[in-house]
Amino acid sequence: MSQAQLHRLPIKLCLLALLCLSSIGGALTFGPVNIRAQQLLTCFTASCPTPVIDMVLYQVRVPRILVGLVAGMGLAIAGAILQNTTRNPLADPYLFGIVSGAGLGATIASITLANMLTLALPLAAFLGALFAVVIVVLIAKALQRMEQLLLAGVAVSFMLAAISQFLLYLGEPFATNRVLFWLMGSLARVELANFYVISSVLVFALMVILAFHRHIDALLLGDESAASLGVNADKLRLIMLALCAALTATIVAYCGGIGFVGLMIPHIVRQILGVTTIPLILGSMLIGGTFILWVDVIARTALENAEIPIGIITSATGSIFFLLIMYRTRKN
Amino acid sequence: MILFKAVTVKVSLMITLATVLLTSLSLAAKPQETESKPLPKIIALSPHIVEMLYDVGAGKQIIATTDFADYPEQAKNIPSIGNYIRLQLEKVIALQPDLIIAWKSGNPSDDLARLSQLGFKVVYSEPKTFRDIAKELRQFADLSGHSEQGRQVADAFLKQLDDIKDRYRDKQTITAFYELWSRPLTTIARGSWPQQHLNICRAENPFEQVSSPYPQVNIEQVLKTPIQLIIQPLSVNQKDKEGFNWRDWPTIQAVSENNIITPDADALHRMTRRSLLALDKLCLDIDKVRQSYLSGI
Repeated sequence: MSQAQLHRLPIKLCLLALLCLSSIGGALTFGPVNIRAQQLLTCFTASCPTPVIDMVLYQVRVPRILVGLVAGMGLAIAGAILQNTTRNPLADPYLFGIVSGAGLGATIASITLANMLTLALPLAAFLGALFAVVIVVLIAKALQRMEQLLLAGVAVSFMLAAISQFLLYLGEPFATNRVLFWLMGSLARVELANFYVISSVLVFALMVILAFHRHIDALLLGDESAASLGVNADKLRLIMLALCAALTATIVAYCGGIGFVGLMIPHIVRQILGVTTIPLILGSMLIGGTFILWVDVIARTALENAEIPIGIITSATGSIFFLLIMYRTRKN
Repeated sequence: MILFKAVTVKVSLMITLATVLLTSLSLAAKPQETESKPLPKIIALSPHIVEMLYDVGAGKQIIATTDFADYPEQAKNIPSIGNYIRLQLEKVIALQPDLIIAWKSGNPSDDLARLSQLGFKVVYSEPKTFRDIAKELRQFADLSGHSEQGRQVADAFLKQLDDIKDRYRDKQTITAFYELWSRPLTTIARGSWPQQHLNICRAENPFEQVSSPYPQVNIEQVLKTPIQLIIQPLSVNQKDKEGFNWRDWPTIQAVSENNIITPDADALHRMTRRSLLALDKLCLDIDKVRQSYLSGI
């Protein structure tokens, strides 16, 4: 990064922070129930004009926006870290079998614990996601080639998805619906307690990343250069993978499968703020959070009497974005 | 003495008149009390719940429902607040219903848990058998303030069910294949809703013992079973072409004998009073095929 770019970095970050903050305010005004900006101000400064607005705002919209914000931040930084530590631009938390593992957990919960799904589903999804990552790491270790983490992840993904599909085939048909639509992702089911859980894991992940940011930057130079700087590449990759897995698993457990954010956002941030860890992480957080806020606005307002699962919108925009990147690369 | 008797008669008459007057006044006052108490506003979260509420006279109290609530005709005008994937919580809150009746396995459980948590009264519907329909008709009638109509409808429903059962109880069984979906070819087994229809109509399902309630089957599995009748329920929204093309398989006895019936899937599969009419018609159609086989022996 040149000196001029370095000087512009705080300005760019401030602008992104401003965009994120204004998006929070903007997103609060969208929803099936019409709440005007003036009414919002009254709610925050005094008390809401009607009990209905009070309930909609504090029980539905605020938790949804806060969880969307931290989920977008978490998925984006998980993607950024995995891409930097594996030096693979296609690395995404979901490629390590996290969603398939969560899906398997959700399937088992949906079939066996249908009466207590509110608690059982996120817990089972979280355990399933962690289970998938542990298997991926064990396989990569057994192969003694940590660079094959991604390939092992793809194989484990297919394996766990097949088990889920077989269980769903044998189970009752409504379980299939539940799991299928859960995997499409949604912020409609979240509550404020989920925000506290996700943001705690996010803060912990940020602290660890900040502690290791120079080591991660060294990995960008290649394993040998990193080793000459005293960095144990395999160990660092494992720590980062475990961290990103825990963060993503927590988000998936509450929000379902929100694809492409971890893959797409870091690529945008690199174009604006560069590749080194600190600006990349800060930028990914701000753009990732903002992106999910607006995607959720589309999800809850695009159809008059229904909601679009959020994962559909992120995947659709993500795939178009990727095709554009491929097109630009071809032109270059 | 005569005077005393006359006074006694007068007093008795007055007391009787006063009693009658008071009784009639109190009787007249009672319905007014009931009328003055507002009937609960209901959100009915599935087409079968909407239909049941109309059956017990509570249709006008439904303020919102989910997609596909299309029966009776008036139900098409009820605003929708979601579908089987997701409910719009904000709209539910804005409507402030007194009661939400939800389909336990067909509505998003997390949204319902959230609504309960927000203080809304959520009652669940989960009919597994015809008798459950009667039970729920009574329950919804009680909750919506139409107990008497609910009791009458439920009793008539059970009586009609028993009549149909009695009519076919001793009939000879006939082997039938039930085509639930055509692509992939899917049938029914124990634990599925239409299996009880076959049991009542004395139609034997060769796939009844499969562990999955709605198993996908291979046409080869159908070919190796002697099938006397094919039941191919079709929805009004479904084109005939969307059913499995059985004409390509003339080796199946039911096809060669042209014993393929296409009952109304919407009435047959929706867990309401209407399903009994569909059951009656199905049993009748099955019986015609049975008779044709019996007369051919």
